[in-house]
Amino acid sequence: MRPNTDDREWKKGSAELLILSLVRDQARHGYDISKLIEARSNGALKFHVTSLYPLLYRLEERTWIEGRWVEKPGQRRRRYYRITAEGRKVLARQCQSWQEFVGAVKNITGIDYA
Amino acid sequence: MHEWKSEILQRLKGSRLAPAREAAIVDEWVQHLEDRFEELRRDGLSEHEARKTVLAEFNETDLLPLDLGPPAPHPPVQAGANKSGNWLVDLWHDLRYGLRAMRKNPAFTAVVVLTLGFGIGANTTVYTVVNALVLNPLPVERPSELVAVYETDKNRANVPVSYPNLEDIAQKNQSFTAVAGYTSILPLTFLSGSGTERVFAELVTGNYFETLGIRPALGRFFLPEESSTPDTHAVAVISNGAWQRRFGGASEILGRTVNLSNLTFTIVGVAPDGFRGVNAIFGPDFWIPAMMARAVEHRDVLNQRAGFDFHAAARLKPGVTSRQAQANLKAIGASLEKEYPEANLGRTLALGPLSEAALGDMKTSVLFGSTILMIIVGLVLLIACSNVSNLLLSRAAARKHEIAARLALGASRSRLMRQLLTESMLLGLIGGAVGLFLASQGGHLLWSALPSEFAKNLATLKVDTHVLVFALAVSLLTGLVFGIVPAARSSRTDIVEVLKEETRTAGRGRRGINFRNVLLSGQVALSLVSLATAALFLRAIEHAYMLDPGFDSRHLALIMTSPGQAGYDRTRSDQFYRDAAARVSGLAGIQSVTWASNLPFWNRATRSILIESREKRTTSDAIATIVNNVDLNYFATMGIPFRNGRDFTELDRDGSVPVAIVNETLASRYWPNQDPLGKRFKFSGDNFYRQVIGVVKTANYQSLGEDPQPCIYLPFRQNFSNAMVMYVRTAGRPESVLTGVQREIRAIDPLIFTDDTRTGGKLIDQVLFNSKMIVGLLAVFGILALGLACVGLYGIMAYSVNQRRREIGVRMALGAAQSNVMGLVLRQGMRLVAVGTAIGLALCFLIGSTLSATLYGVSATDPISLIGASMLLAIVAALACYLPARRASRVDPLTALRDA
Repeated sequence: MRPNTDDREWKKGSAELLILSLVRDQARHGYDISKLIEARSNGALKFHVTSLYPLLYRLEERTWIEGRWVEKPGQRRRRYYRITAEGRKVLARQCQSWQEFVGAVKNITGIDYA
Repeated sequence: MHEWKSEILQRLKGSRLAPAREAAIVDEWVQHLEDRFEELRRDGLSEHEARKTVLAEFNETDLLPLDLGPPAPHPPVQAGANKSGNWLVDLWHDLRYGLRAMRKNPAFTAVVVLTLGFGIGANTTVYTVVNALVLNPLPVERPSELVAVYETDKNRANVPVSYPNLEDIAQKNQSFTAVAGYTSILPLTFLSGSGTERVFAELVTGNYFETLGIRPALGRFFLPEESSTPDTHAVAVISNGAWQRRFGGASEILGRTVNLSNLTFTIVGVAPDGFRGVNAIFGPDFWIPAMMARAVEHRDVLNQRAGFDFHAAARLKPGVTSRQAQANLKAIGASLEKEYPEANLGRTLALGPLSEAALGDMKTSVLFGSTILMIIVGLVLLIACSNVSNLLLSRAAARKHEIAARLALGASRSRLMRQLLTESMLLGLIGGAVGLFLASQGGHLLWSALPSEFAKNLATLKVDTHVLVFALAVSLLTGLVFGIVPAARSSRTDIVEVLKEETRTAGRGRRGINFRNVLLSGQVALSLVSLATAALFLRAIEHAYMLDPGFDSRHLALIMTSPGQAGYDRTRSDQFYRDAAARVSGLAGIQSVTWASNLPFWNRATRSILIESREKRTTSDAIATIVNNVDLNYFATMGIPFRNGRDFTELDRDGSVPVAIVNETLASRYWPNQDPLGKRFKFSGDNFYRQVIGVVKTANYQSLGEDPQPCIYLPFRQNFSNAMVMYVRTAGRPESVLTGVQREIRAIDPLIFTDDTRTGGKLIDQVLFNSKMIVGLLAVFGILALGLACVGLYGIMAYSVNQRRREIGVRMALGAAQSNVMGLVLRQGMRLVAVGTAIGLALCFLIGSTLSATLYGVSATDPISLIGASMLLAIVAALACYLPARRASRVDPLTALRDA
């Protein structure tokens, strides 16, 4: 199941936006994030360990998200990620440019999802 | 699962991660793979298939390179930024970095910001007052050209001038473009629809506003014809405050008439906002042309050359220095003395900055108070700085690793120092903002303590650009002062040492502690100085209340009346005084009633006298004395004892021999070793002699504990006055009779203003008001200094206990009892306090000589104050040491040794 080149480019462009959106409203751990991406894209987008975590660490380094170990009784400890104030700003900006981009594509190609 | 771990480790090989970081990543990824595995199993895959899928997904060559730099808590040091030389970018990075560091440590930031806030707030509060009163008191044009012109005689410096002398100065000088005059503030009765009210006015020469360079907010100022003929032009300029307050700022004010002391004045102009006259502290509601003096004051002020009625303000001609003007004035003074020796003997003219004249009688107390308060709040700020410095030093120990890492990554020491200083400046600025807020609140609080009856005429405190610039400068300077030592020390961090985790090596730590100990002893010393100063002034006030003012201030009620201002002539006024005294005497609880023209402590030496047979005076005779017109029974009512002679009687009235009673000071000065009874003198300007019939004890006339001043009492029946103060001696509390007395007076005529009342106690309070205000502030700042110093003491003791946990653990393991450990820590702390106290006491003795001149009857080395302040300091300091000491005594030797 090697991802084709198109998939790769799509992922690259949207990965940050996707992750920020998913941790916007609640803190999530890495596995949860990867499952949600897969489920909500109906399997079109997949992130596995080696693609997901470096990305999470990079976002953390930029202080857009922050990770914290949480221990719950009867479970192994997990690292949960939540968005920071700065991350929120970035997300808002990215959403906006994404919408503009989609709008532009629609205008040019005539594709309409509505 | 074990195999996940080995797969992951295999994958991470070559990433050269720190062991802890690697462990965390492994942990996280194992969990992920485990979750995935279980999910696949739930989906029905066999254990083998599931494992295969998981591993396949894991080993997928992926789109993102495996880039696992550790998530640095802070952005990496901009090592290259130095080369770019873009300091603005550096500054921006440093600021962001600083803010992030603050957010990471909110408790530390809060303590620092509050400490600085109090320190800077105290300074800004005092500066706001100093700015309003001393530095920028006059909103006038080119204030540096303006000077005050005074008369000076042998006994007194800088007294006002008489109107005739003022006119001569204006005509004869070659130094000034203009010379203007203004009187002290006169209380007048304002009659409005709702009744009578006390307002304040100044008589001014026609060129007053022009000389100061003031432009009206509305209408105009005085015309030449309004200032040239006496009693013809009843016009007035209203102050901006009074215009807003009484007339709602309506523009129809021009041409309106107001009734002031039963005279109708037409308002011709409104003074600009912020202009309160030359006096910076207390401003009038109305300005009236000097030509109206006789009508307003019922005295021939304009022709009394011996008087001291007008303050003079002059504007220097361009290019004329104040030294040249001074020489010019001296020549004019000499010629005036020669021309009018009777009035001007022994008087010369002098000049000073108008900004000092702006403080009027309060110059000394305001300047002294400002100076001492600025010094004390300076000390408070120093304590705050040293506190924060100590905190930063402690934190520097905690940040050693971070700093060492950054140095290792190539940050230069100067770059690092700049970064650390930026952080302290940022802390300073935030502290400054808090301080500014505290200062504006403090200013309100301070001003709300002022007597409400005068509040609307008092200078207002405002946070203007000067104050803002001051606060900004203090904040930045503060940041620099408290930040420089910690920054310098931190940037000297030895990388190898720190990275080897040799945190317990004694050398550097010991030196750090020593420096902190020096700071701490300094704080203790400074807070003792502030506390002792407050205690000394407190004792002085206490002492002042016990001073004998020379009359009995208890059970004394005073009601100011002015029948003249209600339009009464002499006959009606006399009748009023008699009726009012008779009615009030009949009230219950009244022991005696009398009248006098002067209010205690509100006297001023106004007239000089000539002794019979010594009309050819020498300059030493030319002394101005206080004159008080009093009714029968005044001395008994006031409790002023006779030394010699008799009191006034009904027979001492118009037409009988003019008589006077003098005080001992005057008697001994003019008739030393002689019997003054029967001796005669006359006032300069009078053409008849008065005979001395009695000598009374000298009292205090202007302030408590003042040097003895000469005073002459005249029988009121020979010396009419249209405004008198009723003195009532009561059996019980004087407050309780005031309403009854006011009612009796109003029953005679409701137009007579009776709202201005005092009790003896309130008089003393008012005399001491400035001092009490200063003492109150000193006490607040003293306690603030103590609090800050003790917070610092607590901090350093707690830190040191923490550092010494291992040592304490060893001691306890070797058999030291809890009490021994506690004693050890307490001794360490209290030794610092003892050193600080000793230094503080030495400082107190050093500054004592400066203070002693201003303390009422209390020695600057007053043992009660000094010991009291030291005791308070010791108790609070002991408490600050006790808490860390108790913690030390509870160290568990096992834990301490194991953790170490």
